[in-house]
Amino acid sequence: MEDKSKKFMNPYLAGIFIGIFMVLAYYFSGEGLGASGALKSVVVATVDAVNHDYASNASFFKARVGGEHSPAKTWLVFEVLGVIVGAIISAAFAGRLKMEIGKAPKITNNKRLIYALIGGALFGIGSQLGRGCTSGMVMSGMGVLSLSGFIGLIAIFGGGYIIAYFFRKLWI
Amino acid sequence: MGPLFPQELISEEINILIGFFIGIGFGFFLEAAGFTNTRKLAGVFYGYDFVVLKVFFSAAITAAIIMFFLNHYGIMDINLTFYPQTYWIPTLIGGFIMAFGFIIGGFCPGTSICAAVTGKIDAMIFVLGAIIGIFGYAFSFDLLWKDLRNSGAMGRVNIAEWMGISDGLFILLLTIIAAVAFFAVSIIQKKVVASTNYKL
Amino acid sequence: MNKISILFVVLLVIGAFGVFIIDSTQKEPFEKVQPCDLIDIISQTNKYVTTDELARKMMSDDPTIMLIDLRTKTEFEKYSLSGAINIPLENLADKQYKEVLDQDVRTIILYSNSSDLAVKAWMLTSRLTYKNIYILKGGLNRWVETILKPKEPKETALRTEFEMYSFRKAASYYFGGGSTVGETVIKKKTSLPIKRKKKSAAGGGCD
Repeated sequence: MEDKSKKFMNPYLAGIFIGIFMVLAYYFSGEGLGASGALKSVVVATVDAVNHDYASNASFFKARVGGEHSPAKTWLVFEVLGVIVGAIISAAFAGRLKMEIGKAPKITNNKRLIYALIGGALFGIGSQLGRGCTSGMVMSGMGVLSLSGFIGLIAIFGGGYIIAYFFRKLWI
Repeated sequence: MGPLFPQELISEEINILIGFFIGIGFGFFLEAAGFTNTRKLAGVFYGYDFVVLKVFFSAAITAAIIMFFLNHYGIMDINLTFYPQTYWIPTLIGGFIMAFGFIIGGFCPGTSICAAVTGKIDAMIFVLGAIIGIFGYAFSFDLLWKDLRNSGAMGRVNIAEWMGISDGLFILLLTIIAAVAFFAVSIIQKKVVASTNYKL
Repeated sequence: MNKISILFVVLLVIGAFGVFIIDSTQKEPFEKVQPCDLIDIISQTNKYVTTDELARKMMSDDPTIMLIDLRTKTEFEKYSLSGAINIPLENLADKQYKEVLDQDVRTIILYSNSSDLAVKAWMLTSRLTYKNIYILKGGLNRWVETILKPKEPKETALRTEFEMYSFRKAASYYFGGGSTVGETVIKKKTSLPIKRKKKSAAGGGCD
């Protein structure tokens, strides 16, 4: 445990800094920090580029295309581009930039990757239905004391604790 | 007077540039806290690593405290910022689907992006999965999700108001609960780590 | 938990206590403006002319000022400021007065017994987008109190107050003040309590 605590930043300090950046996002842009919204923008932009007629008619895309700018040129997309740069900087300083698969020692690589794909897909669906993911809805929502942020918190983490037992073989 | 962009005090280009720099800060500290490690993230559900809980709550509480002061002293009007509207039914169901996604996939979208770009192959697959999920959602939107997504609409709800207490009291209670939880999980973590041979 | 972690958590708790204390001691500093506060806010803007300013302008025969008396014709005939034009409030929007009021060369000063009618008239004229319109602060009552019958300040008063008093006394002679207008003063005073009553009744709803 000793070397690990040196390697990673103190979690409370990291949290305080993330909170400060959230305030800056609200102060300058009136936006919360987010991630799934940017992935959605990528999806919308892709569909719009491939089949514009479909995007202009299907109700999911209709509201998001046809504006002045490309649907990919949103604040969240640029914020996520920043996230990418920031993560690389931090990992480079800490010497954590290397190709690997993060997993529990007992499961195989293929199994881990398949589960990652399924989990990602579920998160994609859930974040669209729930109007945001852990950072965009829950953390940013909690910052402004929005009820939906706390409902999301209970659903994601409460739900996680309920089902964790059944998936323990993936992690322990 | 903030927020600056919604009141057109800064241009759209500057706003997007600021978004980029804010993202750098967000990404930097997510990575620094260890959020690119899927086992650290999943650890919150199994008791061997509570970094998610610690970072998450300290961030939300810090933001809530600072924004209370900014709003109170008229430096920033929270009413003009992004404020998630409450649709309790889809948020609850969507949150539960995300819980499955979290346990099975081991990431959430923000952390998966950080992990994917720093070389975690499982995270790259997770991001791919998330994009597929959004595609799937988008194409089945009219069929499956349209009515559900707009059910349970409550509008703009402040939780403190909803509970009938002041913002200040709510923030204080939340912080005290979090502080107690921080203390408790540090004990739990020690015990769990000692009883299992958990290694990163 | 190590020492640094405890420090950060304590910091958050202190911050939260600060939020709680401020939230419970200082209730809503940015409350919505109450109707009676709105009157104060209106009175802070520069659409008022004080009786002293008006007296100074009149004594220097400023040709740019135009005085509009908003009271009824009978009141106007009993007493009014020299050079004033009588336009009762209800006739203010009439077409025949548009030429007089809708201009930007002269400074128009509205007055009545107190400020009430003049404030109403000012709002009406600003709706009609007339420019250069001002209100005589305190109306004729204040005019009588300050210019025609100025009170001598106490001995302990500031020097500026004495200076103002001597100016007002000079103005009083200029406008033929003193005992000669005593009767009018009394007449104005009878109309004054009625106006004040109205005001305080309206203000009561805000408390």
